[in-house]
Amino acid sequence: MDVKLILSLLAENVERTGYPVPVDVERIYSWAKPLNLPRGGRAVLYTGALYQLAPYINSLVRHLESLEGRRAGGLALRLAKTLGKIIDLGKVVAKADPGEIKAVEEVLRSIARLLSAAGVEYGYLYEDDMYSGVILYDMGLDEAFARHAKMVAETLEKSGASLIITVDPHTTHVLRSVFPEYVDGFGLEVKNYLEILSENIDSLKPRRGEAGYRVVIHDPCFYARHEGIVEEPRQLLRFAGLEVEEPPRSGKMTYCCGGPVEAVSPSLSRRIAETRLRELQGVGGRIVTMCPICYVNLRRVGGKVEDIALHLSRRLL
Amino acid sequence: MPSVALEEVLRDVRRALEDPALQEGLRRAYTGAERRVPEILAEHPEILELARRVEEAKRRVLEDLDRYIEMAVESLKGVGAEPHFAGTAEEAREIVAGIVGSGKVVVMSKSMVAAEIGLREHLESLGNEVWETDLGELLIQLQGSKPMHTIAPAIHLTREEAARLVSEKLGVKLDGEKIEEIVAVVRRYLRDKFVRADVGISGANALAADTGAFVLVENEGNIRLVTGLPPLHIAVVGVDKIVPTLTDAFHVAMVQAAYASLYPPTYLNVIAGPSSTADIEKKRVYGAHGPPKLHVVLVDNGRKKAAKKPLLAEQLRCIRCGRCQLECPVWRLTANHWGGPVYGGPMGVGWTAVTLGEESGAELAHLCLGCARCDEVCPVRIPLSRIIRWLKKLYAESHGL
Ligand code: SF4
Repeated sequence: MDVKLILSLLAENVERTGYPVPVDVERIYSWAKPLNLPRGGRAVLYTGALYQLAPYINSLVRHLESLEGRRAGGLALRLAKTLGKIIDLGKVVAKADPGEIKAVEEVLRSIARLLSAAGVEYGYLYEDDMYSGVILYDMGLDEAFARHAKMVAETLEKSGASLIITVDPHTTHVLRSVFPEYVDGFGLEVKNYLEILSENIDSLKPRRGEAGYRVVIHDPCFYARHEGIVEEPRQLLRFAGLEVEEPPRSGKMTYCCGGPVEAVSPSLSRRIAETRLRELQGVGGRIVTMCPICYVNLRRVGGKVEDIALHLSRRLL
Repeated sequence: MPSVALEEVLRDVRRALEDPALQEGLRRAYTGAERRVPEILAEHPEILELARRVEEAKRRVLEDLDRYIEMAVESLKGVGAEPHFAGTAEEAREIVAGIVGSGKVVVMSKSMVAAEIGLREHLESLGNEVWETDLGELLIQLQGSKPMHTIAPAIHLTREEAARLVSEKLGVKLDGEKIEEIVAVVRRYLRDKFVRADVGISGANALAADTGAFVLVENEGNIRLVTGLPPLHIAVVGVDKIVPTLTDAFHVAMVQAAYASLYPPTYLNVIAGPSSTADIEKKRVYGAHGPPKLHVVLVDNGRKKAAKKPLLAEQLRCIRCGRCQLECPVWRLTANHWGGPVYGGPMGVGWTAVTLGEESGAELAHLCLGCARCDEVCPVRIPLSRIIRWLKKLYAESHGL
């Protein structure tokens, strides 16, 4: 696997299109159309596009997986480079699983509805719902990240919002804990929707009369270890009438889904995902994820997993 | 040019994933190993307190490393040991080779810094008969491979594999594959080497600048023999092992043992100078029962330079407990196949950057998940995942990305 090539592909794509993989901007905000969310406002929902991108990233990883280890792998990728990266990558991501695309859009809609049900007033950014640039940061492409982050920060500031509501662990972390280091004077308040739901839990009402079921919780590393979001999801799931089970490694000591090395070593990523999936399955109960990367990774190795927002919306809306 | 290349690292990792013996060995060793440390810490909460003190003591030394090296040298002289300072791995090898010479029988106790400077191979190439005496390390020597964990170098070998190595390479007959029998056979075999050895070579867990005393913690008892039986003892010690006082050195040993899930440690050795007696007419004579001669080779090999670097300096606090390795999802599948030619796992990436250069560390960084389980468990709170992300940045910079 030619890591340099992959890194430069990702960086160039973000630079040219704003996204690590080529997607139509419409695909990023079309999930919100049926909801008629107001534009802007004091508080805005900022998805950072990660849920929307996850199926496309997954498709790219499947492609890399098929190239890995084959000697032709490096060659095919290099060819892709000379033939124009964007077009070729476009073909790869065009194979994204439509079911998965639908699923992540439903997750976002559920999050939005849950916030409304909790009495939170907020708007959406539509085409200004930019990608956060988190992959650039994770890969150590600091200069490209700093440039991108500046643009994102300017856009968010221009919206006039003072509170940014995030929906996934990576975007939450990068916006709340990394942006202040890389963007001069970045001072927007960043909160995750699980934190907000938990604060407003009294405004939510669990549906009565429906039987609960057992769920096993898979904490994302960045919620649990970097952003201190451990109790909120448990509290919300229990409030929704579900029985929460802990896997052997959970909370602060949760175990990675393998996602972060998916582009560098797909085979290693797969094995880590399998290790984690076995562990989760061993507990018994429906597996709950809270991160789009965890979601596609555990699914790629055959896991039956569902996002927390779907569980909550079924029981609380 | 870095001495590690990402392409080779990726190949090694793939090979490790496809090696069923390695995977089975890791699986067997792994089960339970992870739970023991939290149990020990729950039973002995004072260890957490000591870990904070060790962290603080190490910070103090690293802020003023040159002065502490000087103090250590003076204190070593004060207790009758002969100190040496080696700037590079090569210098360290030469100093030890100069003391040992050739045609000698040498027994070694497990030392990462000895592996780092390639000591065993060098002494063998000069015509010495060299034996690792730690069972795991001996198996590694027989296999001709590299240690797979900081504390448990042969963690990847199953008993079947170990039995095969011992019977084939040592030419001793084993009746079965019982672990007890392997241990007994090795014990008998090495006993003779200990008695005949001209030189014993050890590392150190910590060296006290105030007294020139150093401590070595162990379970097998081989260190007592290596450092006590031959007439000459050479300790090879990285300068990062210097702590202000002998009390600090004890703390390091206790914390390391606990975090390596070997608590209480079976043996704790303290060595302050060569063996001596003044029992007759109060006249001090060296070499009573222990070695009359003690050399201590202090090894820099990149440590002093790293101590001045913002993030990398923090790696130097490492007490080599290996906890970060056991908790790492990548290490769990690859053991030390990832992390560098000598060290491995999360701490290995940092140590490779210290000892082989930052560019080499950078070639390893992209296999890190950044999941930060390691940060969570390190007793001296080394920000391992942040060090590795910084190395990813160096990789991007040095490859024009
Ligand atoms: S980095 Fe920390 S956890 Fe890892 S071996 Fe060193 S002291 Fe132990």
